[in-house]
Amino acid sequence: MEKIVETILQYAQKLVAEGVTGDKDMISMRSGLNYMYITKAGVKLADLKEEDVQKMLIFKVEKEYLYHAEIYKEREDIHAICQCYPKWVMPVAKAGATIPAVLDDMAQIVGPSCKTAEDDIHYIIKTLKGRNSCLVKNAGCITSGRTLDEAYTCVLVLDKASRCFVASSVIGDNKIINGFEARLMRFIYKTKYSKKNQENLSQKEEGEAKQDTSKKEEGEV
Amino acid sequence: MAWDKETELKLRQVIKDSGVALLKENLVQGTWGNTAVRLDEDHMLVTPTGLDYISLTPEDMPVVQISDPSVWSDGKKPTSERKIHAAIMQARPEINATIHSHPLFCSILASARIELPVMSEEMKRLVGGECRVGAYGLPGTKKLKEGTVKAMEGRNACFMANHGVFCAGKDMEEAFEIIRIMEKSCYEYIKECTLKATGQQTYSDELLFDYFVSQFDERGKKIKIKDKKKK
Repeated sequence: MEKIVETILQYAQKLVAEGVTGDKDMISMRSGLNYMYITKAGVKLADLKEEDVQKMLIFKVEKEYLYHAEIYKEREDIHAICQCYPKWVMPVAKAGATIPAVLDDMAQIVGPSCKTAEDDIHYIIKTLKGRNSCLVKNAGCITSGRTLDEAYTCVLVLDKASRCFVASSVIGDNKIINGFEARLMRFIYKTKYSKKNQENLSQKEEGEAKQDTSKKEEGEV
Repeated sequence: MAWDKETELKLRQVIKDSGVALLKENLVQGTWGNTAVRLDEDHMLVTPTGLDYISLTPEDMPVVQISDPSVWSDGKKPTSERKIHAAIMQARPEINATIHSHPLFCSILASARIELPVMSEEMKRLVGGECRVGAYGLPGTKKLKEGTVKAMEGRNACFMANHGVFCAGKDMEEAFEIIRIMEKSCYEYIKECTLKATGQQTYSDELLFDYFVSQFDERGKKIKIKDKKKK
């Protein structure tokens, strides 16, 4: 089994184990500049098998895979995407609200806020500008990262931040971390704390397959 | 050093097992959170930074000096939160084990910076009263450390604003009981507040979700109470 497929299967299981999936979740990883490996639409992550992870040219995809392909086309810095439906994210996505920096780990890993985009790829790309995650109106969240581990971690952090935001409606408003401190934490996380870790993880996740794929691509193009 | 090798080996295993148990009981996520156990009046074992609790070995735990947490030996690089564990152990000689984590329901109260009232006799016995919130400070700062120490005065647990929870016990078993009761009490508190806000008799997550959604207009903006009354 290719390392990249193995990584996708492994993280699909992790998302299921964490209880942050619904029925239509899809995850993908970029392969080289023009290809992605993506889980088959309509297959639940809990039931995912090796043959359900498909390699596609990002310029030629069916509409079920369009969101992932368009994000990879637009954002070369993105190497992995999780499109998930965590239970506690859903009411925020339904309300169309923006989650402010309610927790330190949200400010660091997701960013100082997370907005809800209309369920349309143009709005999603616009909302993702300068960010790695957004909610989608009535349709869960899209998280991305330099590695699949980073995109996966964003799903967990967003789910926890959503819990805080939703429950604050009955216990009293969230006290939000001030903008300067939230941006400072995000900057330190991106440039120092996680940089080396993400570089190591990137090699681990794509492994030798990264080299194999680039050889294959040369032959295919 | 005033401890024997046998005790150290035993405590290394205690700290390893506590990490695995935190994961199993869903009281910690991934590599986040950290724990410490006292070796003597000026030394403690802590979990290392950035390692997952499953692959961590007892030998990975570094020995940290309580009076100066920048000094450490053995094991791997200690957690950056060691200053808080050290400050609590220094201020409270009766404390021998500490847990810092971000359990899901505790995080809700921490993010709202709301004091948790005594929810049960068990909570009163284990925590020592209501659970306060320490002043907000960026991770690793003096402000966060001092805020946590102050909020822990006369208590065995406190919230760290917008961050998580800190628990301390006479041993790891007790520290564990405290974090468990904290998470359970926070859940009970949220359920109680949901029923009060909605006027319903039976709690469900969906009841809370519907109440939350009703507070926003069609553009995703929160409806002010005045506007809501007009509607």
